[in-house]
Order: sequence, then C-alpha cells, then structure tokens
Amino acid sequence: MDFATLASQLFIGLSRGMIFFIVSAGLTLIFGVLRITNFAHGSLYMLGAFIAYSISIFFGQGPNGFWLALLVAPIAVMLISLVIERGLLRFIYNQEHLMQMLLTYSLVLIAGDLVKIIWGTEFKSMNIPTILRGSFNLWGASLPSYNAFLLIVGPIVALGLWLFLSRTHLGKICRATATDREMVDILGIDSTRVFALVFAMGGWLAGLGGALIAPTTTISMGMDANIIIYAFLIVVIGGLGNVWGALISSIIMGVGEALGILFIPGVAIIIPYVIAGVLLIIKPSGLLKSAW
Amino acid sequence: MLQVEQLRKAFDGFQAITDANLSVPKGEVVAVIGPNGAGKSTLFNLITGHLQADSGHVRFKSREITNLAPHKICHQGVGRSFQLINIFSSLTVFENIQTAVISKHRLDRKLFRPAKRLLVEETLEVLENFGLVDFKNHSCSSLSYGDQKVLEIAIALGSKPDLLLLDEPTAGMSPDETRRIVNLIKRLSQQEGLTILLTEHDMDLVFDVAQKIMVLHQGRTIAQGLPEDIRNDKSVQNAYLGETG
Amino acid sequence: MSANNSSTLKMPQGKFRAYLGLGLSATGILILLAMPTLISQYYVYLLATVFTTALLATSLNLVLGYGGLLHLHHGVFYGVGAYTVAIIMTKTSWPFAVAVVLGPLVAALIALVIGWFCVRLRGLYFGMLTLALGQLVWAIIYRWNALTNGDNGIHAIPVPEFLTSVNSVYYTTLIILCLSLVILYLISKSPFGLTLLATRDNPMRSESLGIHVRRHRLTAFVIAGFFAGLAGVLFVLVERSVAPSLLSWNKSAEILIMCLMGGLTVFMGPTLGAVILVFLSMFVGLYTEYWLLVLGVLLLILVLFLPQGILGYFIKSNDKKGGV
Repeated sequence: MDFATLASQLFIGLSRGMIFFIVSAGLTLIFGVLRITNFAHGSLYMLGAFIAYSISIFFGQGPNGFWLALLVAPIAVMLISLVIERGLLRFIYNQEHLMQMLLTYSLVLIAGDLVKIIWGTEFKSMNIPTILRGSFNLWGASLPSYNAFLLIVGPIVALGLWLFLSRTHLGKICRATATDREMVDILGIDSTRVFALVFAMGGWLAGLGGALIAPTTTISMGMDANIIIYAFLIVVIGGLGNVWGALISSIIMGVGEALGILFIPGVAIIIPYVIAGVLLIIKPSGLLKSAW
Repeated sequence: MLQVEQLRKAFDGFQAITDANLSVPKGEVVAVIGPNGAGKSTLFNLITGHLQADSGHVRFKSREITNLAPHKICHQGVGRSFQLINIFSSLTVFENIQTAVISKHRLDRKLFRPAKRLLVEETLEVLENFGLVDFKNHSCSSLSYGDQKVLEIAIALGSKPDLLLLDEPTAGMSPDETRRIVNLIKRLSQQEGLTILLTEHDMDLVFDVAQKIMVLHQGRTIAQGLPEDIRNDKSVQNAYLGETG
Repeated sequence: MSANNSSTLKMPQGKFRAYLGLGLSATGILILLAMPTLISQYYVYLLATVFTTALLATSLNLVLGYGGLLHLHHGVFYGVGAYTVAIIMTKTSWPFAVAVVLGPLVAALIALVIGWFCVRLRGLYFGMLTLALGQLVWAIIYRWNALTNGDNGIHAIPVPEFLTSVNSVYYTTLIILCLSLVILYLISKSPFGLTLLATRDNPMRSESLGIHVRRHRLTAFVIAGFFAGLAGVLFVLVERSVAPSLLSWNKSAEILIMCLMGGLTVFMGPTLGAVILVFLSMFVGLYTEYWLLVLGVLLLILVLFLPQGILGYFIKSNDKKGGV
C-alpha cells in the first residue's frame, strides 16, 4: 500500500461524502423542521439524475447541457417537491410517524415506476464536460478532476446553508421551528409555509445531489434505494435535524466506504452499516445535538 | 419508611435539587410543598428512579434504592401517580388496573395464560375501592377528567405499594372532585394504613390531610415538621407563604 | 368515543363475537382443507405463499401493532430462517428436521442480538437502528459467497419426499400457519400481551408499575423473530430456493404495508393484508408490469383515507371500544 493510492482513495471518499452531505442535508432539514421521515428523498435524488440526463441529451451531451442540467434539474425537482408537499404531505402532519413514513414510501413506489415508464429500463450515462474530465497529480497521487469539482461544490453548499440558516430571517424561522414549534406558532408565523419552503429546499438539495452524481455513474432504477438508506443512517447518526452532524457523518461514511473498498474490497458493502450500527450503539442520540 | 438525604440533581448546569432531605414515617401522610419550580416533581422522579441523582441517598425500608431502575423500585413497594394523567389510553378501565396487579404478582411475562381471567378478584377489589366498578369495561379515554384522575391513582394502588407517592393529585380538578380525592387519601391512610407522600398546591388540602410537611425551596429543604410548626416557621413564611399571600 | 357507546358493549355481545369468530374460523379452515380438490395447482401454490406471508406479517405485528415499536426491517428474520434451512440442506448432511428446528431458532437468536441493541432506543431511533443492523445482516448474506452463494441465492434445495407435492406443501403451510396463529393469539391475550399494550400506550407509567419495559420489548422482538424465521422455513418449502431479496428492505416495507392494510390493532389484520397483497400482486401482474405503481397508489389511499386498516375500520365502526 503506497501513499499515493491511499491519498487518492481518501480523496474519492471525501468527494463521495460531499454527495452524501448534499442529499442528507436536505433530508435532515425536513426531519428537523417538518418532523417527517421522508423516504421519497431518494426518489427525488433519482429524479434529479434522470432529469439532468435528459437535459444533457437534449443539448447533445455537450458542456452546455451539463451546466444547464446542474442548474435546471434541481429546480425541477424542487417544483415536484412543492407539489408533493402542498398536495399530499400537508394533510398528514398530525398523523403518527409510521403513517407519514408509509405515505412517503408510497411515493417511492410510484416514482420508481413512473421513472421506468418515462425513461425506460436501460442504463443511461451522461458525459462529464471536457474541463472536468481526466485527472491531475498531487504529490504522486492521481486525483480525478470531477471529484475535485465535487469537493468544491460540497463546501459551497454547506456554506450556503450556513448563511441561510444563521443569517437570514427565513433561516432563523426554520431553526426556531425545528427546536420549538409552539413558540413559532405563538409568534404568529404560519408554520405550514415554512414547511413548504423547507420541503422544497430539501427537494432542491436532493435534485442537486442527483444531478451531480449523474455523470459519474450509470443512471438507473434502484439509485433511490441505495442512497436513501445511507442518507437515513447519516442523518440519524449525525443527530436528527442537525445539518452539521449530517456533514460530519457524511464524511465518515464516504471515507469509511472508500477505505473499505481499498482494504477489504470483498466485504466493503457492509462498512457503512457497521459504522452506522456502531455509532448508533455507542452514541444513540447522534454525534451532534438533535433538533428534536 | 423512606429517607432522603442530601439529594442533588442538576440539568445542563441548572441545579434543580441542591439539598433535599426528607423522612417519611410508616403510616403517615407527608406532604412536600414549595413554590412552582422548587423541584417537587424532580424530587419525586429521583425517588422513583425516573431520574438519576448526582449524589445523595434514597433509602426505603432502610434499603438503599438510590438510582435503581423504576421497575425495581416499584417492586420494593413504592407506587406513584403522576401529575398529568398517565393511564393506558387504549385499554379498558379494568385492564388498566389489571396491568398493575399482574405486574405486582410478577405474572407479566406469562405467555400462555389468558389474561382475562387472571387476578380478577383483586382487580375488582381495587375498582370497588375507588368506585370505578361501573366503568370497568369502558375505554378509559371515555371517562370524565375527574374519573380519569381517580383511575390514575387507582392504577398505582393496583401494585399494592407500601408507600404511595401522589404528584399533585388534585391538579385541574373542581372543588367537588377535590373533596373526593381528599376523602380518598384520608381513607387510604386511616383505613388501610398506607404511607403516603404527596405534593400539592392546594394548601387547605395539605394542612387537612398531612401529618408532616416538608418545604422545598429552590431545590433545598428549608423546613420539615408538624403542620403547626411549619405554619409558624419564619423561613417558610418568608420563602413561601409570604409569596402566596 | 363517548361513554354511551361503550356502555352498549356488554359481555353477551363480546361473547357472541367470540363465538362468531370461532365459527367463522372453523368454516374457513374446513373450506381451506377442501381447497386443493377445488382449484388448480397454481392457486394451491399461491395459497401456500399467502399462508407463509400471513405468518410473517402477523409476527411483525406483535412488535409493530401490539408493541408500538417502529420495526423497519422484519424481513431479515424471514431471510435468516430461510437461509438457515437452505444452508443446512445444501452444505451439511444434517437431517431435515434439524434444519426446520434451527431455522426459527437462528432467526430468534439474531433477533435477540439486534433487539438487544435496539430496545435501548426509542421511536425513530429504534427504527433506524433496526434498519442499520438489518441492512448489515442483508449485506453479509449478500456478500458471503462461500456460504450463501451471494447474489445468485441457493436453488433446488432438497426436501424430504413427502414434501415435494404442491398439495403436501399446502397442507403443511396451512397447519403451521394455524398453529402459529393460535399461539400468537394466545400470547396477545396473555398477561404478556396485555402488558405489551401497556408499554406501548405509556412506557413511563409501565415502568413505575414494576414492568421491565426493555426486557418486555426484547421478548416481543425475539418472539416475532422466531415466527418470522418459521415463515422463512415455510418459504423454503414453497419455493425450494432462497435469494438475498428475501432480506431486502423492500420486502420489509411490503410486510409493513400488509399490517397497515389489514389493521395494526386487529389480530387478523396482517393476515387479511397478506391475502390481499399476494393475490392483488398476482392479478395486477397479469395485466401490467407496473405492480409497484399500483401498490404505491393503494398505499397512498390507505394512509390518507383508511389509516386504521380494513379490519380496523370495520371493527371500529361496530364497536367504539378500543382502537388507538
């Protein structure tokens, strides 16, 4: 095992962690503010990837298509989320957890088949624009450019979320809703509008995650199931509703998974579950303080 | 029967109980009083194991029960009711009591015996004692507030405790219903010889039923003794009676 | 739920309902016993699948409905039971009887280990840990090629001669389902079952009545794991093959939907849910490949308009007692 291999694997793990973070940040926001376990989050991510693919195809897989897809796909997913929230979710806010969970699961089933109907079952792939293709060398380690791009986008999103949550009026309302909903009601803020906003934002993040992952993987059915369980575990071990907890646990998961692939390739698949299981057992309430 | 010594408990840096001391003699009714936020409920939760004390001792029948799990403390003979209504909402009135009776007899892990015919007499006895027999097959959520509050206490009696803790037994009740509870407490104490520890806001009730009073102020026991002594105690008047007028 | 409504429900009516239930199940069992002579072999096979699934769903409901625990990955115990039989029958020369006995026992053991960690958590955290640890078991089975044959699963599992015909499998699954349902019913009506309901309604109060809530929940979890493992054994009898998809999260979700569909508060609810879902998936499958879309829409309607489930709805409208 030489340093270069280890370094490049760490690098890849970190960039995977960024994708995990972007997706699970949306999930944890929804958790914290709406108190809903949104299984459909993985489906929104998958939709993001498929929509990005279609946009890219429309522009002949050129670089413009990529950048436009990155811009438009998350917004499209955001609009879909808004429809879901206003059309369905808002009717079940008073129901018990299991029911809310199953409602979002019904959307998983529906979205899965709709994607199959619209895009068909064959695997799809999307081109990386030339500028982000190939790799560069750093101290002898070969690092793919696209992963470097992800490592830039991830912190930008984190910074944006931080600015939104701590500096804007709306963000403060979101945080207040997560920690003390009654207080927000007393202040006369319409919490259902906050819910719609947060759910749409969560959808935007899921769509962004999907659009970002699209060029690096085969876009296929089943993307939703893979990401959602990871995202759930990340959100729970980070502390429900805590965006920074999600950041830390995303990095742990991404790096853990990458190192697993390097050192124990045969059983690397179990690594995230082992990490999640161990962390939940030794720190059941999550790494950082939960918003609940 | 129950001794509490130098009990302390802090939450996130807030010292809820600084120095609580209490002794409850067998067969007596003892009341813990104190202004809101004095730590009465916290003290109860420490005694029954729902909260873990930072230091100090709780002894019951001269045995150390500090920081034992709640179910173990119950099996030692400490029963409690709660300030808010804490009943089993999907069970019938009968089943609410029966659950307690079953647990008392440690039959709660029997898998293949119909519960329906188990310990019926003993359960009915408790129901009769509390005037709830007529409602036995009702869903407990269909009871009036007063009846639910009585059921709340009756459940605790189902486990036949030697010491009964009542946390604000008359909270939110009408004067009529309060009288019902007062009579109940007196009857339990006088006829059944039950030792009772209670917290209560209603001072008339406290001085009516209690043989001994402990005053908790900012988490500290500032006085403990006979009702008359408490009434005349200067520090108590300053801390508490003075405040309420 | 007013006092009036419940006071109309006195003993005789309860007794009448018990007799009605008994009569109905006796008739039902008679009809089921005659079934193989009345319908084609394909439907006999389908019914055996229904029986297996019904047992699986009912075992989950002990934890989910009666215990009120958000158990999200019950399929794991089903899969472990099935894989235990499959591995013993293909990799060892142990007798079939041993495999049948060990199936549920190994499942119960795994349930004990997973449950031991999970019962210390509450609500959603409990659910997430069942998910994480369940996925771990899935991943191990999926990856341990030498033992489980990985992604391909194990096929053509040998079973004794007398269990090779569809009819004999049908009767075996029927008998085991009936026996298990009787046992689970007795458990639900036992002091243990009553106490379990109490821990669901109010864990804190249960503790102060001397109930060891965690141990109680763990016991329920292990019993549920045992019967799910038994259902897994039945699955092997019916299909003679196993695959990692038995333990997939989708499978677990499907079982949850069955429980919800029939009614979480009614003992026979999950069985009804299993009957509906198995048959429906078969019929829908004849017309379209989009069964999951249909299931999704069905689930949506269920959650929005019938959250108490089908049986739950009928029982509630008949009798205002109980119901959560």
